[in-house]
Amino acid sequence: MNKERLTRWLTFGPPFIFMVVFFVLPAFIMVAASFRFPGEYGGLAPMFENGTWQFTLETYRFFFSDFIYTEIFLKSFFIAGLTTLICIALAYPLALLITRVPKRFRDVMVLLVVLPFASNFLIRVYAWMIILGPQSAFSTAVNSVVTAFGFEPVPLLFSPFAVIVGMVYVHLPFMVLPLYTNLEKHDPILLDAAQDLGANAWQRFWKVTWPLSLPGVYAGSALVFIPVLGMFAVPDILGGTGDILIGNLIKEQFLGTRDWPFGSTLSIMLTLAVLAIAALAMRYSRKSLSHA
Amino acid sequence: MKAFLTTEALRHREKSCKKPSVPLCLCGGFLLFLFSITALARDELHLYNWNNYISDETVVRFERSCNCKLVQDYYSDNEEMLAKLAAGASGYDLIVPTGNAVESLIKSGQLRPINKQLLPNLKNIDPAYLDTAFDPGNRYSVPYAYTITLIGYNAEKMRALNLPTDTWAVIFEPKYLKKLKGRVTVLDSQRELMAAALKYLGYSANDTDEAHWRRARDLIIRAKPYWAAFNASSYIKELTIGNIWLAHGYSNDMFQARQDAKNAGRPFTIAYATPKEGAVLALDSMVLHKTGPRPDLAHRFIDFMLVGKNSAELTNLIGSGNPNRDAMRHIDPAIAANRAVFPTPDIQRRLEMLMDLDRNQRRVLSRMWTEIKVR
Repeated sequence: MNKERLTRWLTFGPPFIFMVVFFVLPAFIMVAASFRFPGEYGGLAPMFENGTWQFTLETYRFFFSDFIYTEIFLKSFFIAGLTTLICIALAYPLALLITRVPKRFRDVMVLLVVLPFASNFLIRVYAWMIILGPQSAFSTAVNSVVTAFGFEPVPLLFSPFAVIVGMVYVHLPFMVLPLYTNLEKHDPILLDAAQDLGANAWQRFWKVTWPLSLPGVYAGSALVFIPVLGMFAVPDILGGTGDILIGNLIKEQFLGTRDWPFGSTLSIMLTLAVLAIAALAMRYSRKSLSHA
Repeated sequence: MKAFLTTEALRHREKSCKKPSVPLCLCGGFLLFLFSITALARDELHLYNWNNYISDETVVRFERSCNCKLVQDYYSDNEEMLAKLAAGASGYDLIVPTGNAVESLIKSGQLRPINKQLLPNLKNIDPAYLDTAFDPGNRYSVPYAYTITLIGYNAEKMRALNLPTDTWAVIFEPKYLKKLKGRVTVLDSQRELMAAALKYLGYSANDTDEAHWRRARDLIIRAKPYWAAFNASSYIKELTIGNIWLAHGYSNDMFQARQDAKNAGRPFTIAYATPKEGAVLALDSMVLHKTGPRPDLAHRFIDFMLVGKNSAELTNLIGSGNPNRDAMRHIDPAIAANRAVFPTPDIQRRLEMLMDLDRNQRRVLSRMWTEIKVR
């Protein structure tokens, strides 16, 4: 009994302590910071000054006084949602293919999916600058088609298109891997049974494979959607003059503006929004499960 | 030399470790390590500097002259440096921040006053760069080098399109920009871009009147559809390969773009000019951090850098502006003749250093910046 307890603590303890120290405490510090005043030279103003405690709701008032911040939130959610959908559309067939090829190719293919992680993230994004740049072969090809149809040539780099491409590229493996681990576990007998019962290829996919793969889809979506929301490097490098997302806004508060309280407020709003979405999604998936 | 000996010795240790008892060897190695630290620590000067902001030859000569080792640590912007110091980094003898960061460091009591008696070469500095608003009387700072925020351009394209290159109008006026649509980048910096707009409108770069800010914001929003991107660093490369024809950026970066285009044998040249309306001048100064253990060596370094030849090496390396009058005769004539880096007195009067904004102004400006980015 005692030994069991010890084992439990040894396995559960270190990550728990890690999360408390590096996630829960900072989160509370952030909440506290959002109610404080920015320091004159950056950082935070003293908590206790001129005989009174210095706390304020100013940053929250500032956030809601102008629709502009909400607008950036909505836009970021749209970009994150779109990236997630494209990732599902691209990753699903690939994951399915990996499960269907012979075992000896499978590991190689999984390795190929994670191989891009071997090079630095920024270098891979910079590579897209070259691929999408106006003088690249890709750009020239696209624009020769565009002009053939009588349209103005389109700049690919520094555009919302480039941001989406970069986001999808960076996050695609995070969608492929959970989908693959899920699809791999499906019992092929189920498909045989469906076929025996007269289901065609589409029905077999839609009525059997897809519903069974939903946990993988949810996991992959969470792994893509949430990091995209906070990503600032991709819009910074590939985006044009209007491609600002919440991540950029938060980074700007901490570096350019040196306004930690407002940066904290934005981070909290983002966390709350993500939690709200997660709660909604959980409720919805539970409901759909109980109906099934 | 010392370091070389130590690593040699360690390597030797490692080999001999194989046979005798391991703990003994570890102990010995550890002692040796401690010893080498104390031995090296005896004469070291810690410099916290910008990336690529001192020439290797200068370092070698300084180390020889002081018989010490110059240990460098680098930053790529002032905020990064301030943040690191705010987080408790210590042990730097010397830092080379830009004006407004010097001001922050002074006001937050992080600097040690300089002793001018130890700096006989201070007389070499052009008085125009002394007694600045951020450090009146130069109690804490000694000028090192400066950059000007200006416009760099593809000379052939600008000539072919018959566009002016001596005014901010080319960055802000749609009548010029429509010939350059998608070929212009501006700095991704609230202060720098607002300063350019304010200068173009005839205000001071440090104007804090909200009505003037709004005019500048509207000017920027009107010009924005023609710009390709807000860009902080890759404009050097984009200019060099010919994707971008006009960029708002720093004189040092434009110098690099020009060199790169030349070395790559491009069929065009990158040129740069300070707009006639005036621009932002960023003066980087050497300051002594309070936690630095060797103010004596730091003073020696400052005085060494005030020698014209040493200061000129930096300018020859990266094309930075040089506040040292004695340096001019050592500077590559092509750079010395560049009016963008060494402006005429008339333009020089219109250069301004950015002063820090207070926290409320920063918040107001930040909201305008967000509007600019979203609209």
